[in-house]
Amino acid sequence: MKQGRGQSNTKNWNMVIGIALVSVVLLFVVVGLFWTPYEPTAMSAALKNKPPSLLHPFGTDYMGRDILSRVMDGAGRTFLISIVTVAIGLTAGVLVGAFTGYYGGIVDEILMRLNDTLTSFPSILLAIVFVSLIGTGEYNIIAVLGVVFIPSFARVVRSEYIVQKELDYVRNARLLGAGNLRIMFVHILPNTRPILLSTITIGLNNAILAEAGMSYLSLGVQPPNASLGSMLSEAQTYLLSAPWFALAPGLMIVFTVLGFSMISENIGKKNG
Amino acid sequence: MEKEKHLLELCNVSVGFPQKGKKMNPVTRGVSFYVREGEALGIVGESGSGKSVSMLACVGLLGGGGRVLEGNIRFLNGEDYIILNTMTQKELEAVRGDDIAMIFQEPMTSLNPVMTIGRQVEEMLLLHGDCPKEERKKRVLAMLSEVGLPDPQEIYGKYPHQLSGGMRQRAMIAMAMILRPKLLIADEPTTALDVTIQAKILELLKKFQKEYGTTIILISHDLGVIRSVCSRAVVMCGGKVVEQGDVGTLFEQPQMDYTKRLLAAALGKGSVLKKEPAVCRGEAIVCVRDYSVFYEEKLDGKKRKREVVKKVSFDLCAGETVGVVGESGCGKSTLAKALAGLNPLTSGSADISCENPQMVFQDPYGSLNPAKTIGWLMTEPLRLHHVGTKEEQRAAVCEMLEKVGLGREYYGRCPKTLSGGQRQRVAIAMAIMLKRPFLLLDEPVSALDVTVQEQILILLVKLQKEFGLTYLFISHDMNVIHRICDRVFVMYQGEIVESGDVDEVFRNPVHPYTKKLLGARL
Repeated sequence: MKQGRGQSNTKNWNMVIGIALVSVVLLFVVVGLFWTPYEPTAMSAALKNKPPSLLHPFGTDYMGRDILSRVMDGAGRTFLISIVTVAIGLTAGVLVGAFTGYYGGIVDEILMRLNDTLTSFPSILLAIVFVSLIGTGEYNIIAVLGVVFIPSFARVVRSEYIVQKELDYVRNARLLGAGNLRIMFVHILPNTRPILLSTITIGLNNAILAEAGMSYLSLGVQPPNASLGSMLSEAQTYLLSAPWFALAPGLMIVFTVLGFSMISENIGKKNG
Repeated sequence: MEKEKHLLELCNVSVGFPQKGKKMNPVTRGVSFYVREGEALGIVGESGSGKSVSMLACVGLLGGGGRVLEGNIRFLNGEDYIILNTMTQKELEAVRGDDIAMIFQEPMTSLNPVMTIGRQVEEMLLLHGDCPKEERKKRVLAMLSEVGLPDPQEIYGKYPHQLSGGMRQRAMIAMAMILRPKLLIADEPTTALDVTIQAKILELLKKFQKEYGTTIILISHDLGVIRSVCSRAVVMCGGKVVEQGDVGTLFEQPQMDYTKRLLAAALGKGSVLKKEPAVCRGEAIVCVRDYSVFYEEKLDGKKRKREVVKKVSFDLCAGETVGVVGESGCGKSTLAKALAGLNPLTSGSADISCENPQMVFQDPYGSLNPAKTIGWLMTEPLRLHHVGTKEEQRAAVCEMLEKVGLGREYYGRCPKTLSGGQRQRVAIAMAIMLKRPFLLLDEPVSALDVTVQEQILILLVKLQKEFGLTYLFISHDMNVIHRICDRVFVMYQGEIVESGDVDEVFRNPVHPYTKKLLGARL
């Protein structure tokens, strides 16, 4: 009895904490869209590397820019990049997965071997190779990461379609006269929602980390614009002399990733 | 006078499972019954009546956080009783296998797929008591031949997936019986099997009861099965014992309403539902000639066509119900699917006078899209064929919901929230939304409890009258066929071996296979 009740409680707490963490980050992002305490790119020689104070709650960086403002602005950019990235990966992945899983055969073989090839490299490495081909920058990062994310979605969707297409409700729909496209996207697709939801949250996590990684390697968002990753990268040199510089963007990433993980785990459990 | 000692006694046992946010949710309440040494006791009830849960509680295998909330389960060990529900798992392990063995419904999932049959049976000897290696193998082989498995040497080295369902169940029984337990609990042991195999498995259980004095508790929803094996029976419903007594008295003079209903529905005593036989007005609505259906198989890397239905020919007249009966694998479902157009690999001709005939599937849990609402699902056929405006469609769906006995409040509900019987009603409603005169019914009541079966059959007859439908009714259950069909085809290995008027076929079966099927009917 105790065990049973305990289980359901921890489940709920996971969800609550996850949502709370993500909401904190979202609050920063949303407010940052309209208002930041200072101009995120405004430099000041007098304010270089100042520790947190009332005027600058998170301190200032090596160019005297207000870190709070930059985190608010940068988190928004990171979020935008990861959401668009996941959207690209999701759309293309669902299309590829649906067609290959539903039809099977030779197209499935070709696309899935291509998929395997893509997944056999670490995604970050693959992204770096692509970026070196098409150049750095915010939009390029979005395009590259989007493509790199396709395989993970395609695979999940495909395996789900393989299972679902054999179920009687699909046969029933065919008997009623529904065409293949309608069966694929009106009848089967809603049934992949639970598994897609948890894949999306994991995908968002990976996208945020990937963006941070790329920007950290200065392949992504270019200065003077801020993103969480580029801020971390800039902070690296000052880790000992100005630790608050890395603290704010680092915490932001930890909050988001942890929050999304907790939410996705809970979604997975609920459906599992 | 000394009190009679029973092998197993359940006194006022309530079993509960944890429920979200609440205290333990009891699924059985105050269940009391006993089994004498050497007798065969049947436990009858529909799904969810608590019959399996009560027995799982006895062996401490409840799972899911379930436990015995109150009452005692006492087991006679030598001269004294041991209380099973207060024992630790460790102590229970000694009792399980040695004294109490259990076999389950689905022999495929209760056998370990990566262990050979021989090793699995031997495992029992390894875990309980010490027995030298050579003797172990000898005992296993003896046991395998005792349960009627042909060529034990060969079976010993085979894996579960290489055996048929009946052979797997025999292997399960060998595993359960090798230690000669005092009590064998069989949980729906024959439900997943064909009728002719079912009879043989039951024979086997009876043999063990007679030869080794094994006490048997047989859980089943099938009263025929209970009647053929057990001397006493317990009827359960909604987590309570409704009635118990000798099988003879219980079945001849049931006291409680529930037992009466169960008996009426199950023993084929139920009235024949079709009163006036359909008159064939000469015109055939379905005309099938030399119709073969193939499956594509991969054998040694080569694709090959296997003929599953072999050159069948028949006509169906408007308004009649024709049953197709046979065992699993005889091709009856394949025939239905091909007629519905789901399998393009056919030869011969099948003229059906309407476009896309609809079909009702066996499993109502798989045939309704779980992501949609009932209303959406039922509107789908109208949407696909552009019948009426949105308002008209909605009105038609609501009307149909009333017709199948659900009511319009089901419009916005999800399949998840419906019971099996309700789902099957929706599936039937979906199939007749387009008002096609011909309907294929593929085992439409086989997955349902007997009392629910009854309701669905009545519904089918009612709808047939109302819409003038023609049914091709596929079933393995002779009783159901007898009750609803005008004519029947008996299929065996892809061929129709006998056909004719239902009463006639049942009275004077000609083909030996039909005789066997009817003989297996209990």
